[in-house]
Amino acid sequence: MKELIQIHNLSFSFGKQQVLAELTANFYASELTVILGRNGSGKSTLFNILSGMERLYKGEVLFGSQDRKHIKSGKNSGFRIGFMTQFHQTTFPFTVFDVVLTGRAAFSRFAPSQVDLDLVAENLRAFRLWHLKDKPYTALSGGERQLVLLCRILVQQPDVLLLDEPTNHLDLHYQVAVMEHLKRLVETGTTVVSVMHDPNLALLYGDRFYVMQDKKLHELEEKDPAVLLSTLENTYNVALTDVQHAGRTFIIPKRKPL
Amino acid sequence: MQQRLKILLLVLMPLVVLFFSLSLGSTGYIGILDLTHYTWMAVQRFWSEMLGESYTDTETILWQVRLPRILLTFMVGAALAVSGGVLQAIFRNPIVDPFSLGISSGAAFGAALSMLIPLIPINLSAFLFGVLAVGITYLVSYSGVRTSLITMVLSGMIITGVFTAFLTILQYLSDPYKLQAIVQWTMGNLHTASWDKVQTAFLPIGGGLAAIAALRWKLNLLALGDQEALAVGVNPRNIKFIIVGLATMITASAVASVGMISLFGLIVPHISRIVFGPNNQIGVFANMSIGGTFLLLIDDFSRAVMPFEIPVGVFTMILGAPLFIYLMRKNAVNWNA
Repeated sequence: MKELIQIHNLSFSFGKQQVLAELTANFYASELTVILGRNGSGKSTLFNILSGMERLYKGEVLFGSQDRKHIKSGKNSGFRIGFMTQFHQTTFPFTVFDVVLTGRAAFSRFAPSQVDLDLVAENLRAFRLWHLKDKPYTALSGGERQLVLLCRILVQQPDVLLLDEPTNHLDLHYQVAVMEHLKRLVETGTTVVSVMHDPNLALLYGDRFYVMQDKKLHELEEKDPAVLLSTLENTYNVALTDVQHAGRTFIIPKRKPL
Repeated sequence: MQQRLKILLLVLMPLVVLFFSLSLGSTGYIGILDLTHYTWMAVQRFWSEMLGESYTDTETILWQVRLPRILLTFMVGAALAVSGGVLQAIFRNPIVDPFSLGISSGAAFGAALSMLIPLIPINLSAFLFGVLAVGITYLVSYSGVRTSLITMVLSGMIITGVFTAFLTILQYLSDPYKLQAIVQWTMGNLHTASWDKVQTAFLPIGGGLAAIAALRWKLNLLALGDQEALAVGVNPRNIKFIIVGLATMITASAVASVGMISLFGLIVPHISRIVFGPNNQIGVFANMSIGGTFLLLIDDFSRAVMPFEIPVGVFTMILGAPLFIYLMRKNAVNWNA
């Protein structure tokens, strides 16, 4: 397995408050890497650094052999990096089709080409969103918007896909649909790094797992259920119990007696 | 199907209004048949290269007075509307227009300054001060992390106020004749239109509109926000810079040639969004067509109804406001931003 993203001694502070402290981790090519952790543990900050939105950090972030700060955006950059953030609101009621089409903006300078239009149609159909194509984006439900934004990122056919809670707002049907789609992308060579909240969904689909704790990333070894359980208990600060099914470990919280 | 019809109207409407506007004016109404006759004569003349031949009075009125005025009016209307639409998209803010960002008042000050002290051409001075005003607005509202839309409108209002104050100082300092010229001009007037003015305005406005039309698809991306542009591999900074520069250029040229026409650039983009939706790929053309036609109709109205010249800015508001309020109520435009 090739290391695609190397993070070395990464530190970041908001003013006096340190968020990341000498964080070191590697993410591998053509894998689905999952980052778990509590709210406010610094996952989104790490995400912002990887996506290039936050540049005032100390330490080293390499994509392949290139420094993240030197990777230019655009179709001719060494890495096409697509990312999806958690919160998005738009002022104008663009149609779903037009919103997704903007995902191709790096490819056609002036008007969108036929290839651009075809890719939008293909992705909307893959997520069964085609019937919404002429609806205003602002009239969609939270889950539908999330899927539309995911389509928008995917039409640029990124090499690296960075996602911050992609299954947020989605019902179980779409959670599975999104994870299955990500899995297919990984099989065709895309590298996916995703922040997730549901450990079971993560364990079901992920290839490699990290937990964010104490301003650092710790790799989770899935193989030993006892270690997994205690690490996650420690991370989330709740009592957990594990369930073995079909050779996989799943975890559920222990209910406190009334 | 319905969209096709709308687009057809978009093309036909300006042509029809342009043609019929020629029949109206203070010297009297020229009938359709006569108008067709004179147009045909002009075309024949043009073909046979007999332009040196002397014109009749009617021909002079048509081709030297009315036609340049009509063309200038259309260009100014289109420029203000497109500029407003572009700025609203880029700043993701439906209450922004060339006026509220300080461009208009900066350009007005620049133009008045060069009317008073003619060191550089009015157009250039208007453009430079328009750029200065929008630049200050942007700098004041820039807070390091991201630019808040509310702060931007607030600082735009402040900058507008400052340049309006400077304009007042200029008016106070100038002699009565120049004062009259400046005051009349700030109210927005079209009766001074001439082929010279059309020529001066054509290059910056025509060129600016063409460049904006070429970049129109990118406006959709910019309207989603900086982060969403980065997320799909586009650095929005340069393209924003270019587009705001173009919008400033066309606004400043419009202001320099006919004076301030306030709120026109705010209202027309809303009207074209209500009719054609928010997609800027068609919106830019809709703004050109609706903006040009609308200002032309307003000017026709003021020429046909009043025996004397009323500054066009007055009727823009008196006719534009009810129409805008009607459309806004009817479509229940509800901005939750």
